[in-house]
Amino acid sequence: MTSTVDPISLPQRTASNDTEIDREALASLLVEIARNVDPDYRARFDGVPTADPRMETLRQLLVGREISQLSRVTHLLDEPEQLAAAVGGVLPSAAARASHAQLGEALAPAVERAVQRSIQKNPRTLTDILYPVFLPAIRKSIGEKIDQTFQSLNESLRHIFTWHGLKWRFEAWRTGTSFSEVVLKHSLVYRVEHVFLINRNSGLLITHVTAENATSEDPQLISSMLSAIQDFVKDSFNEKEQSGLDTIRFGELRLWSEVGPFATLVAVIRGNPPEELHEVIRDVLLRIHDECSQALEQFDGDSSQLVGVETQLQTCVELKQEESDQGFPWLVVAAVLLVLIPAGGWFFLSWQSGQRWQAYVSRLGSQPGIIVAEQKMRDGQFYIAGLRDPLAADPQSLLSGTQVDPARVHSQWQFYQSLEPEFVLKRLTASLAPPDSVRLSIVNDRIVAEGEAPDTWIDRARAAARQLSAGGPAFDISKVRDVSPEARAAERWQAYVSRLGSQPGIIVAEQKMRDGQFYIAGLRDPLAADPQSLLSGTQVDPARVHSQWKFYQSLEPEFVLKRLTASLIPPDSVRLSIVNDRIVAEGEAPDTWIDRARAAAQQLSAGGPAFDISKVRDVSPEARAAERWQAYVSRLGSQPGIIVAEQKMRDGQFYIAGLRDPLAADPQALLSGTKVDPARVHSQWQFYQSLEPEFVLKRLTASLTPPKSVRLSIVEDRIVAEGEAPDTWIDRARAAARQLSAGGPEFDISKVRDVSPEARAAERWQHYVSRLEAQPGIIVAQQTARGGHFYISGLRDPLAADPQALLSGTKVDPARVHSQWQFYQSLDPKFVVKRLTASLTPPKSVQLSIVQDRIVVVGEAPAAWINRARAAAQQLSADGVVLDVSQLRELSLAELNNLREAIQATDILFYSGKVVPGPEQTPVLDRLADQLKEFAQNARKSGVTARFMLTGHSDATGRETANASISAARAETVRALLNKRGVAPELLLVRGAGTFEPAVPENSRTGNSANRRVSVTVNLD
Amino acid sequence: MLQKKICMLGGFAVGKTSLVRRFVQSIFSETYLTTVGVKIDKKSVALPDKTVDLILWDLAGEDDIGSFRVSYVRGATGLVLVVDGTRAATLAVALTLRERAEAEFGAMPFVLLFNKSDLADRWAISDSEINELRQLGWQIYLTSALSGEHVDDAFRQLASMVTK
Repeated sequence: MTSTVDPISLPQRTASNDTEIDREALASLLVEIARNVDPDYRARFDGVPTADPRMETLRQLLVGREISQLSRVTHLLDEPEQLAAAVGGVLPSAAARASHAQLGEALAPAVERAVQRSIQKNPRTLTDILYPVFLPAIRKSIGEKIDQTFQSLNESLRHIFTWHGLKWRFEAWRTGTSFSEVVLKHSLVYRVEHVFLINRNSGLLITHVTAENATSEDPQLISSMLSAIQDFVKDSFNEKEQSGLDTIRFGELRLWSEVGPFATLVAVIRGNPPEELHEVIRDVLLRIHDECSQALEQFDGDSSQLVGVETQLQTCVELKQEESDQGFPWLVVAAVLLVLIPAGGWFFLSWQSGQRWQAYVSRLGSQPGIIVAEQKMRDGQFYIAGLRDPLAADPQSLLSGTQVDPARVHSQWQFYQSLEPEFVLKRLTASLAPPDSVRLSIVNDRIVAEGEAPDTWIDRARAAARQLSAGGPAFDISKVRDVSPEARAAERWQAYVSRLGSQPGIIVAEQKMRDGQFYIAGLRDPLAADPQSLLSGTQVDPARVHSQWKFYQSLEPEFVLKRLTASLIPPDSVRLSIVNDRIVAEGEAPDTWIDRARAAAQQLSAGGPAFDISKVRDVSPEARAAERWQAYVSRLGSQPGIIVAEQKMRDGQFYIAGLRDPLAADPQALLSGTKVDPARVHSQWQFYQSLEPEFVLKRLTASLTPPKSVRLSIVEDRIVAEGEAPDTWIDRARAAARQLSAGGPEFDISKVRDVSPEARAAERWQHYVSRLEAQPGIIVAQQTARGGHFYISGLRDPLAADPQALLSGTKVDPARVHSQWQFYQSLDPKFVVKRLTASLTPPKSVQLSIVQDRIVVVGEAPAAWINRARAAAQQLSADGVVLDVSQLRELSLAELNNLREAIQATDILFYSGKVVPGPEQTPVLDRLADQLKEFAQNARKSGVTARFMLTGHSDATGRETANASISAARAETVRALLNKRGVAPELLLVRGAGTFEPAVPENSRTGNSANRRVSVTVNLD
Repeated sequence: MLQKKICMLGGFAVGKTSLVRRFVQSIFSETYLTTVGVKIDKKSVALPDKTVDLILWDLAGEDDIGSFRVSYVRGATGLVLVVDGTRAATLAVALTLRERAEAEFGAMPFVLLFNKSDLADRWAISDSEINELRQLGWQIYLTSALSGEHVDDAFRQLASMVTK
């Protein structure tokens, strides 16, 4: 910046910053230049060059910064690399800001060339780039092509053998196009009814075009809803695909949509459109995008900008394919006729044969009892299958005369039961076998039976009718008359008479029937069966039977036997029987009976069977005694409250055992007057509670102690209580009633009236008060009941029972109790003991007890405790309470310790392999047992429990598991042995230590007898 | 023909559907709301210089904001936010829904309707709260689907806002 040729020393100062011009330097420079303008001044300085360096300095001062910037920019523009870098930096934003149309135009040739070049160089690159764009389009296009092919194939196949098909084949041949094209042309009948152009972004309708006569709802709403549904499907199934719903089909109606970049075109098509229509629609959409892409892109709901689009859409709506009628194709008819005539002849022949077959089939079908299920003709063969009743006509035999070749008929018949009336009639005739008096016939499809028949047949017929009622024809048996009941009655009468005749002791002399009445006369033994009672079950009406019987004594042995049994009343020890028409008595009987039997035998000897009493032995007086005994026993048995369970006689002694109610008569007392010697009676009575009402009444009276106002009585085996009683008694009575309900007589307390609740409340209160008064440590000073409330006041010891708690269970309402208690210390020894127990905490070995109002302390205790007890005794004596501590002994464990050591030093020794100690150990065991017992006793006295652990050991020879079990077994054995010597087993604990706790260390080979032992340790809890 | 897509947003049962039921043209039944999640109605509003068809997308109200199908808002030029004046929480729901919509598709004009103004005794939004929102320059209407109060005003206001 500074000039090298500056003659004037200019104050050179750099500017303080870039923007600020050095004002001082500028001022002096300007003064200097001004001076130069003055010629005088100029003259003083010769040799001043024309090119004034000051100017340069001035320029530097004024525009120095601009010059440097300009040079930098110049440099930038001159250097291609720097320029490229600078332009590159701004190019993207410059391009973005440039007018799209101009930029597009300017870039188009270059881009085209670039793409061309890229393809020439390597077509793959561009293919790869465009691949994602093309693929869906290609895929869609191929898909449509395939659909198109299928559609064409489908339609061709569908129509190939139809009348249309022939017609269209002819048309194809005539017009020279392919058959499938003709088919499609005719079968795809459709009409595009609506076309919607919808803004893709907002779903707003751009334009809507409707075909003639087509109607729809508000197109604006429809278009929005269509795009909403597009969104819905896309969102719901998470579909990433750019395209939308392709096709919506609803019956005859299809919605085809084509999606463009800015708009979607939806065509509503009625009918069956060809797949090519997709292409047509797509073309229209493309054209619309071409022409108005900008307007589409900027669409904001104002469709006035896109008016021209409508004409494009109109071309879509005009698309349709309609059924055309092209007149009657005569040529086709002629051709068909030519083919048909020869074929017709052949058809006629087979038709005729078929016709005959059909005639046969229909004849079969009309046969009753034959059902043709299936029939067909194939290749000149006839097949028939069905059901036939075994009673129906034979289908084979029906063939004859039909001109159908039986050899060509293949039948399959299954038997069934026809329900046609004639078949049912046949079957009924076979199964019911109606009597000659009955005639079966068919009347109007009903089977009617007429005539007379016995009721059994009518019953069977009725059953058959019932069976038939399920689907079969009606079977009417109402016209069959039941044959005369008289015949039946006579039959029954005869049966009765012959029954009577076979009865022993009855002789029928005469019998007859007349006018429905029956008469019979004869003889009968009084012991024979009663002819009247024999009537029952014979269905003979007793009112119509007139009998005349005369009694006689049958001498048939069995009747004689009966009579003898009735008159002689043989004792149980005598058995009467009939042996070869003789009556034989066997057994033992008293002489009186034998006398009577003998008399009877004599009487019988005149005409009757022999009565042999020779085998009855006369029993000794013992029998009589026994008889008396039996009388006594039966008397006992009839006593209420006495149950004889067992009784017997042996060697003149009587034994009786059983149950008796304590309230029943005394069996002993009943002996008097029986002549049974009481000395020979041995009774064993167990008391039980008889449930006979009178006993229950006695017991209830004893246990319930009913108040005087209640009266108990027995009414028809029930015990009834009547009167008034407090509820407590009623409760008890109710409980008793419940108890009795299990087997006992009923106890009815419903007639006992509950006395007034107030009285009860008062009663309860009194009960509560008296309970309180009985409590030690509680002194009731005053109590009243007033107006349903209870007031109580008094003193209570804090250790006494809580009066409140005592209320529970008394049924006194706590809310109505108003108590006032003052605490005091009761000097009742019981309370003193409680207090002492709480304050002195005596050891276990000490017991406090009350002996005649004195408190006695007994046991062993440490000296310190004994001192405290004495102090307490002194204090108490001032209150007049005696605490006797004189029996306290000072506790000493020294004695016990010696004993413990002695016990623990003892070992019980064993021989090798043995679990039972040898006999030489017996004294050791005896001594140990004594020591253990003594120790246990002493320990108990001191308030501790001693337990002894018996530990078994083994030597180290042998296996460890065996050693472990042998050691435990030894300990067990010792326990058993000690137990046997009186040591309580619960004090003895057992364990096996195996070889782990040897008394002396040992070599496992030889073993050491000192280690085969059981040791004892003492534990105190 | 000038149309604008308008989305009606609001929580569950704020009365969007009943709000428009009496004042719009509709051909779709309300089951669309539960099946497709949107029901489309049209409200023609005559402004002094033109007539605008508001295509109303009534989006199924959900208090679960997560299930809001924001894609339905694409292309909308305005929003109708509906709040149940008897349930204060629905205001937060409506505002959240607006935030969701604007985050996705940019800011757009809206009107805020406090619905069920007929239920004065159960009203849960304080006047001061409403005034605060008005201070923000928001267009707020207390509407009643029952009486129809202010419903037309709100649609007219929104129509003039979206056609500016």
